[in-house]
Amino acid sequence: MFNAILGFACLAKPFLVDEKETQVYNITMEKFKSKKGLIASILVIVLFIFFVVEQGVIQTADNTNAKYTANFLDVFDTSTDITVYANSDEEAEREFKIIKEKLDHYNKLFDIYNDYEGINNLKTINDNAGISPVQVDSDIIEMLKFGKEMYELTDGKVNIAMGSVLSIWHDYREYGINNPGDASLPDLGELNAAKEHTDINDVIIDEKESSVYLKDEKMSLDVGSIAKGYAVQQVLQFCKEQGMENVLFSVGGNIAAIGKKPDGANFKIAIQNPNLNSQEPYVRTVEISDGQSVVSSGDYQRYYEVDGKKYCHIINPDTLFPSDEFAQVSVLASDSGLADGLSTALFNMSYEAGNALINNLENTEAMWVYHDGTIVYSKHFEENIVN
Amino acid sequence: MKKNDFILIIIILAITGLVCCFSMITRKNATTEGAKVVVTIDGREYGVYPLNEDMSETIELIDGTSNTLVIKDGYADITQATCPDQICVNHIHIHYDGETIVCLPNKLVIEIVDGTENEVDGVTH
Repeated sequence: MFNAILGFACLAKPFLVDEKETQVYNITMEKFKSKKGLIASILVIVLFIFFVVEQGVIQTADNTNAKYTANFLDVFDTSTDITVYANSDEEAEREFKIIKEKLDHYNKLFDIYNDYEGINNLKTINDNAGISPVQVDSDIIEMLKFGKEMYELTDGKVNIAMGSVLSIWHDYREYGINNPGDASLPDLGELNAAKEHTDINDVIIDEKESSVYLKDEKMSLDVGSIAKGYAVQQVLQFCKEQGMENVLFSVGGNIAAIGKKPDGANFKIAIQNPNLNSQEPYVRTVEISDGQSVVSSGDYQRYYEVDGKKYCHIINPDTLFPSDEFAQVSVLASDSGLADGLSTALFNMSYEAGNALINNLENTEAMWVYHDGTIVYSKHFEENIVN
Repeated sequence: MKKNDFILIIIILAITGLVCCFSMITRKNATTEGAKVVVTIDGREYGVYPLNEDMSETIELIDGTSNTLVIKDGYADITQATCPDQICVNHIHIHYDGETIVCLPNKLVIEIVDGTENEVDGVTH
């Protein structure tokens, strides 16, 4: 680049020499070269620097790769933020529309509380437990297959067939949140009875018929531990196929990226401080780029209190009670569904068991935060931390 | 090289430097001074408040629910809400461009617009 500037200076030189001076040019050429040439060069260099700086100003004001964000409150019962970089408002709107439609699609399919006209979703499957197989969209089949894989991978710590147990906790939590003075805990006997109906092998998937049948009439599906992450992963892949190059998804803090920022920098993702009374909003900040995802699970957002003790929404399949060893577990992975499921699984495991699981997986790292603020990491997590 | 040449060079450099500094400072000021808090309820804009003026307002909705927005020292916060989960109240105050506090039950969002560029692009929950 410096050569180009010097070249510029040489070209510019004759124009900077006025007429009178040209008459004596030949005689004092050597002097000229050293003096006027130097001044001209410096002038040009200065102009060049000025141009570069001002160019930067112009570029940020310009619409090229401008940053756009959209917020949706009506998918997956959470707040969704999408960031895209587009050349025009229209382009950004078009991308948001594609993403929103896809998220809506998965939100409806994976919903266990609401019916949608003309759609067989997880609620339809649950309603037909022990009655009949239900014809469903192949997106449900694929998600349930992923759920079974997660069950195998986590030795049952992620169980999408645990709806019978989770619904009891859901009801007690909702009641407790709305009636804080009257909050109570479910009876262990009731939970144990429900546990009898959580065998994942009773979820019968028929790929040929594209149908799902719950063999046990008292069982039900609850995919809260994987649905958001799985959906984000599917939407991310679809957007890539549509040619989108720089997108950041945050579906209820379930974060995944396509590409990097247009300036080539990685996305910086802060991990929320589980201690809400702290003045520090974040515990750590990590960098992610194309295809990477980061998800946190914790006891600080969805919980209810009974006699001053917090009970969170993550239920350990072994104890049937909320896990309370960690305040938060975050997982970094190259698949958002995997990151989502693993963050729940690790929350339900000891650090030793969880760390062994993570270290067996490629491109997957984790960070555990204890209630006293102590932080521990898997082998390579710290390499992703910024600063 | 004569003394005057030196002076000329220094003057040129000084002027350029000043112009560059000035343009950068004005750019920075433009973003922090223009920072606003935009409140939307169920997707519709409810109000816009400058981030550099301290204020407090309880935003009441038709169904009797409410959220209290407080702006203090360049930070916006929700300090009270009728929602059962209190996630918005527990949320730490916000200051940087694009940061939001969401009250899902009341469908209320407060967002920083035209604020100082945030160092982070996203936050896990």
